[in-house]
Amino acid sequence: MEIKSTNRDDFRFIYEQNYHLIMQVTMHIVYNLGIAEDLTQEAFERFYVKNMTFPSEEEAKYWLLKVAKNLALNHINRNKRDIQLVEKVKKMPGKTVNNEDGQKQVIDEESRREVREAIAQLPENLRIVIQLKEFSGLDYKAIGKTLGISETNVKVRVHRARKKLEELLNTEDRDVY
Amino acid sequence: MCIDSQMLSAYLDGELKEPYRTQVIEHLEHCAACRKHLDDIRALSNRVRNTAFTEEELGRKKDAMLEMLDKKYFQNNKISFFRRRFEMSLPQMVTAAAAVVVIFVCGFMFFGSNPAQTDDILPSFAVPADSQNVRLVSSKSGSLDDYTLEEILQYLDAKGYQVDISIKGLQPIETPAQTE
Repeated sequence: MEIKSTNRDDFRFIYEQNYHLIMQVTMHIVYNLGIAEDLTQEAFERFYVKNMTFPSEEEAKYWLLKVAKNLALNHINRNKRDIQLVEKVKKMPGKTVNNEDGQKQVIDEESRREVREAIAQLPENLRIVIQLKEFSGLDYKAIGKTLGISETNVKVRVHRARKKLEELLNTEDRDVY
Repeated sequence: MCIDSQMLSAYLDGELKEPYRTQVIEHLEHCAACRKHLDDIRALSNRVRNTAFTEEELGRKKDAMLEMLDKKYFQNNKISFFRRRFEMSLPQMVTAAAAVVVIFVCGFMFFGSNPAQTDDILPSFAVPADSQNVRLVSSKSGSLDDYTLEEILQYLDAKGYQVDISIKGLQPIETPAQTE
């Protein structure tokens, strides 16, 4: 289905389909709801103003993701001196967790925070890839398209990110116990 | 030999290509260590997924924002001429640029160029007028009437002619006499 970004119906369709995804991605970069909302809005405004025609809704999604990711990273880099990312994660307000994937495991807010902190410590190129992988439901190919890297590169980065996360989380566990 | 963890990671994501995928499945059946490893990766992946923000956390401004964007961009549902973007692919752009150059060159080839035009188009190329390249040319059109008799005689004398002049009548001379 061809998507024209200035067509009202197409715009609504893309908005409804991608709002949560874009929010999820920006949120995991800036860790601030208000800022993530601003960035998401900015991304959709650019989508309209750019007045482009996409061959498919997927292409539109990749474009939006790329723009939103860049906006969020720019924001972070601009405000780097203000607050360190890890600090920000620590200041996130807590919230109860619902179970996903039908698993009965109950993960408390503390563990969630711990994982977020570990992700925040990853270098940027690994962090974005693992976040897109785990939160967006995109496959390697789509992630590669979004980030402008090859599928193989995505595979390698996902693996490295997981390895690194494992190290970070395990050492943290050892510290705790 | 056991499977390296990058392959397991790709397998978990369902991204492993076919010959390897079957091999991995077969290997997993009899290798407890690799099963354990895969479980670890899966557990980690789930832990990460669990840090995802819920839709209700993220969605508080969703409708308001769409409303706002709709008002801003679609209420007067017309795209102005200037906002309409003209997209051009690279080959198109190259062709267009080449065409401009060809037209320009042909213009010069067929209609030629003279210094005056060049002067108009490229003033910096015009040579400044000074004593070196400007020759003074008289604007007078020469005829014998413009010279006095003495001058004519002098000139002929200088050229080596012997000239005799006599007056035919008694009338005063109004026009220079004819020489013979």
